[in-house]
Amino acid sequence: MRIAMIGTGYVGLVSGACFSEFGVDVVCVDKDESKIKTLEAGGLPIYEPGLDNLVVANRRAGRLSFTTDLAGAVAEADAVFIAVGTPSRRGDGHADLSYVFAAAEEIAKALDGYTVVVTKSTVPVGTGREVKHIIANTRPDADFDVVSNPEFLREGSAINDFMRPDRVVIGIEGHRARELMRELYRPLYLAETPIIFTSLETAELIKYAANTFLATKITFINEVADLCERVGANVHDVAKGIGLDGRIGRKFLHPGPGYGGSCFPKDTLALVRTAQEAGAPLRIIETVVDINAKRKRAMADVVIETCGGSVAGKTIAILGLTFKPNTDDMRDAPSLDIVPALIEAGASVRAFDPVGMEEAKKLLSGVDWGDDAYATMQDADALVIVTEWNEFRALDLERVKRLLKSPILVDLRNIYEPREIVEQGFTYRSIGRPYPPRRD
Amino acid sequence: MRVAMIGTGYVGLVSGACFSEFGIDVVCVDTDADKIARLNRGETPIFEPGLDALIEANTKSGRLSFTTDLAAAVKAAEAVFIAVGTPSRRGDGHADLSYVYEAARQIAAALDGYTVVVTKSTVPVGTGQEVARVIREARPDADFDVASNPEFLREGSAIEDFMRPDRVVIGTESERAQAVMSELYRPLFLRETPIVWTALQTAELIKYAANTFLATKITFINEVADLCERVGANVQEVAKAIGLDGRIGAKFLHPGPGYGGSCFPKDTRALVATARDAGAPLTIIEQVVAVNDARKKQMAEKIIDACGGSVAGKTIAVLGLTFKPNTDDMRESASLDIVPALQDAGATVRAYDPEGMDEAKDLLNGLVWCADAYDAMTGADAVAILTEWNQFRALDLGRMKGLLKEPLMIDLRNIYNPAEMAAAGFRYTSVGRPENGI
Ligand SMILES: NC(=O)c1ccc[n+]([C@@H]2O[C@H](COP(=O)([O-])OP(=O)(O)OC[C@H]3O[C@@H](n4cnc5c(N)ncnc54)[C@H](O)[C@@H]3O)[C@@H](O)[C@H]2O)c1
Ligand SMILES: NC(=O)c1ccc[n+]([C@@H]2O[C@H](COP(=O)([O-])OP(=O)(O)OC[C@H]3O[C@@H](n4cnc5c(N)ncnc54)[C@H](O)[C@@H]3O)[C@@H](O)[C@H]2O)c1
Repeated sequence: MRIAMIGTGYVGLVSGACFSEFGVDVVCVDKDESKIKTLEAGGLPIYEPGLDNLVVANRRAGRLSFTTDLAGAVAEADAVFIAVGTPSRRGDGHADLSYVFAAAEEIAKALDGYTVVVTKSTVPVGTGREVKHIIANTRPDADFDVVSNPEFLREGSAINDFMRPDRVVIGIEGHRARELMRELYRPLYLAETPIIFTSLETAELIKYAANTFLATKITFINEVADLCERVGANVHDVAKGIGLDGRIGRKFLHPGPGYGGSCFPKDTLALVRTAQEAGAPLRIIETVVDINAKRKRAMADVVIETCGGSVAGKTIAILGLTFKPNTDDMRDAPSLDIVPALIEAGASVRAFDPVGMEEAKKLLSGVDWGDDAYATMQDADALVIVTEWNEFRALDLERVKRLLKSPILVDLRNIYEPREIVEQGFTYRSIGRPYPPRRD
Repeated sequence: MRVAMIGTGYVGLVSGACFSEFGIDVVCVDTDADKIARLNRGETPIFEPGLDALIEANTKSGRLSFTTDLAAAVKAAEAVFIAVGTPSRRGDGHADLSYVYEAARQIAAALDGYTVVVTKSTVPVGTGQEVARVIREARPDADFDVASNPEFLREGSAIEDFMRPDRVVIGTESERAQAVMSELYRPLFLRETPIVWTALQTAELIKYAANTFLATKITFINEVADLCERVGANVQEVAKAIGLDGRIGAKFLHPGPGYGGSCFPKDTRALVATARDAGAPLTIIEQVVAVNDARKKQMAEKIIDACGGSVAGKTIAVLGLTFKPNTDDMRESASLDIVPALQDAGATVRAYDPEGMDEAKDLLNGLVWCADAYDAMTGADAVAILTEWNQFRALDLGRMKGLLKEPLMIDLRNIYNPAEMAAAGFRYTSVGRPENGI
């Protein structure tokens, strides 16, 4: 079995490496020459735990290679995966499908023999059918089927997610494609992973439904956290109390500064648009999108409030910039709202992130970049934890107190215990945990 | 250990019976003398599978009794549970706490020796503290603590839910009260049921947060179902695939006519009101409430659409009226929106429900009440399934075709298979699934 992976970003590279680990011959294609050069030189364009070993081993075994030559890779492949980006289109929030359609056209021209064209990118309902049209129009003689196979991996645990998924979703028409997809996912099938075969449309919708539900769950607990602060309840106890309910589940009930990342913001927006156009608006998701956008901006106000109402002329140290730990991904990270708002309010911002600073430098200006956590907080008026990297979980609090001008800690990820921090003499603000607890 | 249960409704009666089954002496109190008289005659005033036997066994063994004499029951008790109703207050959606505070005053007057006063009713954040204040004011000498112990049982599986809960939530910061509560829930503790100890306010909020989250989950899948209908996707496959995600879970992803019942509608409204007052509005839940209210009304439209755009002069058979199966509870059931809307549109409604018709007769007028499902369908232009009672799941399609004027079914609970219905010659509409299956 030979496959071509079109687009060697997060999803393309991880999926390609994992398929090669399954024993499939994989050629990863990207039009970004520098990316392919880096990969050929043994480097990795992204940060993902465990990926380097996987890539090295499978290249050595000859099952994984990289190229910019799409036509060559496609001509030889039994299955071609489209894993290009589908960012939000500026203005209307729709998924921008220009990369997908461009890839489809290029693929069409190169098809040789029966081929299954699989969309792995997250695409709105109806895209698979459109890809089919494009290919059929470009190459009326081509022998192919289209399949939708949305990807559920998470950055930071991408390999495990791909190798041990909760389920694999395959939207399909026709038996030939079905057999081929079954063959491709055989190792997972043998490991008793549920494989769900659906129509193209249903598979496309599943990916969005899953992500929007999760975004709703996060936003739900974020709103409950705000309520907890007002009524003197503790959001962690609430999360535990409701999470033990088997119909709810404890995952994704961690309050924070609002969701970010490469998927939730764009996927929620895209589904909202799809639904509006279909005449079946998803009002809950519309609300979720709206609340989350406001929340990220409101986090700067939380910092300002904790600093006594103004940060003008003050220095604020920021720890963590990426949208979550264990990734260098800065897309739609809350820091992108928080940092500019603090600067606008007159603060000098000094920031540090273990892996994300290079990306962050492209997106944030006017920031003083720190070398490590402690250097960053030296003489700052307040310390703000924005992303819960492990190395920020056990800071030497004595040292922190000595370095800071005033012992103010704003912890947007609730990684410290309010009682302990307050006993150490800090002014401490976290999310949804009033401290000292209110007593009447 | 002796317990007084104040309020012998759904929650009070089930909790009282289950505590007595744990070996505790329980006296169930109610102001409704008729209810108590029936219980003392051996009748069960509500329909709940397994409850009869539990009550009978424990009254016989002398651990469970019923009375209208609140004072005597409270005096003898180490723990007094408040399990009275907390309906929506008309107008503003706030929980009506008048029964709770009235009970608190009556309890206060009767307290004798250290007693834990436990709120089992679903009450807004701050109610426990207010109960404490009411008691303290009435009886400055009383030796008591308050605790919050919200109940998560569901009608229809109430006993199992009480005996094998996912967790027990207990809100109190008093160690004495904690000891009493530990003793009460000992059998569950030994069975390794997680006991979540929290502050009073947090326990109160947990109950609302759980119910509003579940209402959100239902409403989410209902909206996705509508989208599926528009784009030709199948909501059951969507639900299955997202439900396999461990962070989402398969439960509560069944689309339908909108949630009803004695808890979700009032609890969502109450939490919305609490949050607004606290200055931290829960915008998602506000939207959920609005979407669900609108949905129940839209379901009549769906039936009318399926009937070709008008039901004037037509007869519609309605199967199921209660808000869910295995209960006689009609509170805020979708049928209460759907049936009158069909009647307003000129339809005659023939209805049947296995347990809910007595209750329904007080709430719905002008229907033809039928003896069974087939009786309801006789001569009707269409049949609509509103509640998924088991007896509606395997109807004799051939017989139905003979009884109905037109072979048309609107299935708001997705209990039939579209392809099979098409094969049987029915026109079939369900929720969020392509009309003829895939
Ligand atoms: N990142 C995630 O965690 C994640 C998870 C699940 C699904 N997805 C979805 O997967 C898709 C890809 O996401 P990503 O994060 O990997 O994006 P990315 O931006 O990291 O990678 C996309 C790559 O495609 C390349 N490309 C674009 N057009 C091409 C063409 N015609 N030929 C060859 N290469 C081309 C780009 O150069 C880029 O390297 C998106 O639809 C996304 O929503 C992402
Ligand atoms: N029904 C459920 O499924 C369920 C589940 C969990 C929680 N709850 C909550 O439990 C509470 C009770 O609900 P329910 O469905 O059992 O209500 P219900 O209306 O069935 O019962 C309440 C009973 O309390 C009695 N009562 C009222 N004031 C009294 C007083 N001062 N002294 C003695 N008796 C009095 C009433 O006569 C009535 O019999 C509510 O707060 C509800 O939200 C209900």
